[in-house]
Amino acid sequence: MAATPSSIDSVDPETQAYLPDFCAASTVFVVVIVAALVAIMLTLAGNEPPGRFLVELSKTSMFVLWLALVGCALMCVLRSRLQGAGKTRAFVVSFFVLLAMCLVLAEIAYQLTRYFAESVIIEDTHFGFLIRTVAISSIVIALAMRYLYVSSEWRRSIVLEAQARISALQALIRPHFLFNSMNTIASLTRTDPRQAEEAVEDLSDLLRANLGGSKDRTTLKQELEIAAIYQRIEKLRLGDRLRVRWNVADLPMRALIPSLTIQPLLENAIYHGIELLPDGGEVVVNGKRDDNDLVITMTNPVATGTERAKSGNKMAMSNIRQRFELAYGHHAAVDVDESGDAFSVSLRFPCDEG
Amino acid sequence: MMRILIADDEKPARDRLRQLLDDLGNYEVVAEAANGQEAVTLAGETLPEIALLDIRMPGMDGIEAAHHLNALDNPPAVVFTTAYDEYAIDAFEARAIGYVLKPVRRGRLASALEHAAKLATSTLHDVAAASNLESRRKHVCARSHGQLKLIPVTDVNYFRADQKYVCVHHSQGQDLIDDSLAALEKEFAEDFVRIHRGAVVAVDKIERLEKTGDGKHHIVLRNETQNDDELAISRRHLADVRRRLKGG
Repeated sequence: MAATPSSIDSVDPETQAYLPDFCAASTVFVVVIVAALVAIMLTLAGNEPPGRFLVELSKTSMFVLWLALVGCALMCVLRSRLQGAGKTRAFVVSFFVLLAMCLVLAEIAYQLTRYFAESVIIEDTHFGFLIRTVAISSIVIALAMRYLYVSSEWRRSIVLEAQARISALQALIRPHFLFNSMNTIASLTRTDPRQAEEAVEDLSDLLRANLGGSKDRTTLKQELEIAAIYQRIEKLRLGDRLRVRWNVADLPMRALIPSLTIQPLLENAIYHGIELLPDGGEVVVNGKRDDNDLVITMTNPVATGTERAKSGNKMAMSNIRQRFELAYGHHAAVDVDESGDAFSVSLRFPCDEG
Repeated sequence: MMRILIADDEKPARDRLRQLLDDLGNYEVVAEAANGQEAVTLAGETLPEIALLDIRMPGMDGIEAAHHLNALDNPPAVVFTTAYDEYAIDAFEARAIGYVLKPVRRGRLASALEHAAKLATSTLHDVAAASNLESRRKHVCARSHGQLKLIPVTDVNYFRADQKYVCVHHSQGQDLIDDSLAALEKEFAEDFVRIHRGAVVAVDKIERLEKTGDGKHHIVLRNETQNDDELAISRRHLADVRRRLKGG
């Protein structure tokens, strides 16, 4: 629909922050907690005699915290640079940078304890200590990265879904249509009360279908019914200027389709096509089965030289495309053909008779 | 009785205005038009005092129609009607132009009619620009025998300044219009080019440039026999004309 884009529309889930903000106090706190847990785990695994446990724990946690906090600071600095790179790349780069950091820090710790400590703190050979540190930290870092990756994917899918919901909402109530319909009804209440009554009923059905947008998919039968109701309301307004030919008898009516896709397409065809033609025109809807796919094509005539109609139209198309992508991934296609004085949209999606 | 013209492409919307005007009394609907073109033609015949124009109409929108109505000797005051045009409404508010929103309320219609004013052409240009509507007209408007005649811009070969008026030469003949040559040149700059002080020519109607014996150039139009000195290119504009013909 042609309304202004809401703010969520402009959030591209691809560029959403996939790494948390390591400069924030809340993130640092979580990192400290995780580091402490790792230290406890390592100490427990060491199977120390009871008297040594706390001593070992404090040594281990000091070392782990030292790694964790420096890592945190490093990520705080790196984050803004990594955000521009691709997601996978950002994670791989972070992993190796952190691993290198651990190696360097372990070396520093080893050297410091050798020169300044009075008793032996690190009871291991130099080489063994470095190897153990790198092995343990690579496992912990890999787990953390995996966690962050999965949770960012999860956030991304939530954003996508929210966008699809909003698109669905936008797809339905175009204010222009709503107010014009109300005006038509106001007029009909005097000239033809019976028709006014029908128009109110139709408009209610249409709004109800729109508000019940929680259903992701609906049957073709229902979807075509909604489009027919919409057509009846527009017919009152546009009279003989609006003609629609439905060649959809070949479609299996029980097949599923993302809800509110046909009606918004018809709305587009009318708003950007028929309404701008003094003598109106005919919208043609063709539906056919192609192996396991269903193909629905809608074609409408357009007035020549209507440049400004296009931006609103693109938005409606991207809404529908988004919802098809969410429902079918790469198995569906939404194609637009603007040639000369006709505009044509074709939807191809897998036939699912649920 | 105030004489009113209603223009809306939707019959129920016209009926609604008629019903409300009946209720208000003191208003007489003298013409009903289904688009901008009809509105302009009917206004020339019926000479309304107020025109109620829908903004979104096929062919010619309400803003362009209002523009052409100004060519009448006594242009009607204009009130726009619209269902939903955020940008146009902001522009109307800013310039105190009368409008009513659909569904139309009787009280709102009455006060808009009372305050309806004639709109200056420059104001309409502003509104079209501010509201993201096409500010270029699709027609120019000529007066012949008291009637308004609309000439599609795509039919125009060239505009020529002719003392007080501008003469538009188009595929159906010639007519005098009120617009100034400078304003026309500015409005249609995308498709027209000035060739000398007194003439602006449609670029896509130019067949070729021709050099005459005395080193001067003039334009040869497609499908048109015109006298040679009329479309001579002045030295000052020659480079510009050449550039436009190359598609620059």
